[in-house]
Amino acid sequence: MKNAGPEMQVDIGGLIIKNPVLTASGTFGYGREYVPYLDISRLGAIITKGVSLEPRDGNKPPRIMETPCGILNAIGLENPGVHAFIKEKLPFLRQFSVPVVANVFGETIDDFKKVTELLSESKGVEGLEINISCPNVKKGGSIFGSDPDMAHAVTREVKRLTDLPVIIKLTPNVTDICLIAESVEEAGADAVSLINTLTGMSVDIERRIPHLANVTGGLSGPAIKPIALRMVWQVAKRVKIPVIGIGGIANASDALEFLIVGARAVQIGTANFINPCATTDIIDGIENYLKRHNIADVNDLIGTFDEEGKSC
Amino acid sequence: MNGKIVKNEQISTGHFLLGVKLPESFKTPMPGQFIMTREPGRIDPLLGRPFGVYVFESSHDEVTVEILYKVVGKGTLLLSRLTEGNFIEVLGPYGRAFDIYPEAGKVIFVCGGIGVAPITYLASHYRRLADARDIELICYYGASKAENLVGIEKLKKICSHVFISTDDGSHGFHGLITERFSADISSYDPGSSKIYACGPRSMLKQLSELLAENPASCQILMEERMACGVGACLGCMVLLKDGEGRGGYARVCTEGPVFNIGDINWG
Repeated sequence: MKNAGPEMQVDIGGLIIKNPVLTASGTFGYGREYVPYLDISRLGAIITKGVSLEPRDGNKPPRIMETPCGILNAIGLENPGVHAFIKEKLPFLRQFSVPVVANVFGETIDDFKKVTELLSESKGVEGLEINISCPNVKKGGSIFGSDPDMAHAVTREVKRLTDLPVIIKLTPNVTDICLIAESVEEAGADAVSLINTLTGMSVDIERRIPHLANVTGGLSGPAIKPIALRMVWQVAKRVKIPVIGIGGIANASDALEFLIVGARAVQIGTANFINPCATTDIIDGIENYLKRHNIADVNDLIGTFDEEGKSC
Repeated sequence: MNGKIVKNEQISTGHFLLGVKLPESFKTPMPGQFIMTREPGRIDPLLGRPFGVYVFESSHDEVTVEILYKVVGKGTLLLSRLTEGNFIEVLGPYGRAFDIYPEAGKVIFVCGGIGVAPITYLASHYRRLADARDIELICYYGASKAENLVGIEKLKKICSHVFISTDDGSHGFHGLITERFSADISSYDPGSSKIYACGPRSMLKQLSELLAENPASCQILMEERMACGVGACLGCMVLLKDGEGRGGYARVCTEGPVFNIGDINWG
């Protein structure tokens, strides 16, 4: 073991991060809100709330609804727009020694291109996560992510305009997520992250109206973990680029499942709402596991899943 | 922070009083702020539940927080089944607190239903000020029926006047508390009176109409479904009138839960 502990550094597509734990877009704001609760410099990276070209107000409330072991959200990608992000949100984050990956959203390929250009020019952004998968908006978003050709086009156009590592965030609301993953890899994606939320809904039976003003929303939380894990496993077998696993990870055991089936890193989202220190608890838990199993480097654990279960 | 339940008593149909002992380092909530509770280790229900603070007491090595709550769904039902000795996670205090006016001549509280709980905490804060200064504390408290009225004795110890109403007339004035309040409204000088309110959205909306001439004199507590409680997820939004700042929406957990009554777009 190096120094006192196992090596936790991983490469997520040209961006080398100190450990495999990142925050998921939309669950951590732009970092500021969580500073009183944990040392954010310990994180592998922060993925910001989605940034669009123009500011967005987001959806009419109610925007969230709890479901068994989960939450439906229809936030509507509320954000102050890329100019305000660069001017107001980024400077705050730059004071911490944690890489900032900006999550990018667009309604048209042109939007993606413009935001990519602006972020690539600004100091403090070390990677881009391209959201082609948000199911909450009526145009753009899920359209890109459910069509291999559109996903390919966005990836290609974004890659042309930036030297930053480009992570494509995939939607699970498709027939075969592996097709999309292969397509964006072919287009030059440096990594893929999956899954985004699953489209769902909830009904108020007394008033016979939806619980969400938007009617449908994205489901996240422990309830989706088995689906996310299965998709990460399948995609990791199909592509060579790093796969970042997202979906219902609440503790180190959950994170380790994703690493074992092939995720190079994990993102923690909904768990932040129930434990502000979920990310740092998970970093500690992964380290403890590696020590216990005498594994010197986390990369030696990644993808060691024995799917035929022979090793006993 | 992990706390230990010291009491969880039913005080009326569907209404409970929960007391939790916490380490001394738990920050003292200011009136208007809220806490979130969760059962350690439970992932269903997933989210913490937000509650206004009812009572907060410190001794030299620990503090006790009390919340007065109504069983309205899965989270509060399970909370009502916890007993003395059980552990419970308490997060917070969160949110913007009420502005306090030590120079006020009269302070009027208007509460509906379980809104009486955080208003009582505010009132007891003013009671300590009123003992040293000449501030009159008056409370208007309404509920749908008599069995939903809770904590009246405590209110009577804090306020010089407590006016009660019930929708069905089973106790006090027969009608809405806003109707009872509107009968007295002309006797309150907006220059020296401050009003605070917490209750159902319909009550707050009616109050905003009553106070349309002088909205600056009134602060309210808003409520919305919450996930993170700290301002990160943007789930708990309320629509503002002005459209300033966040493009029209404000976070009940961060810009609120206290708002000036005139700022809300009631729709």
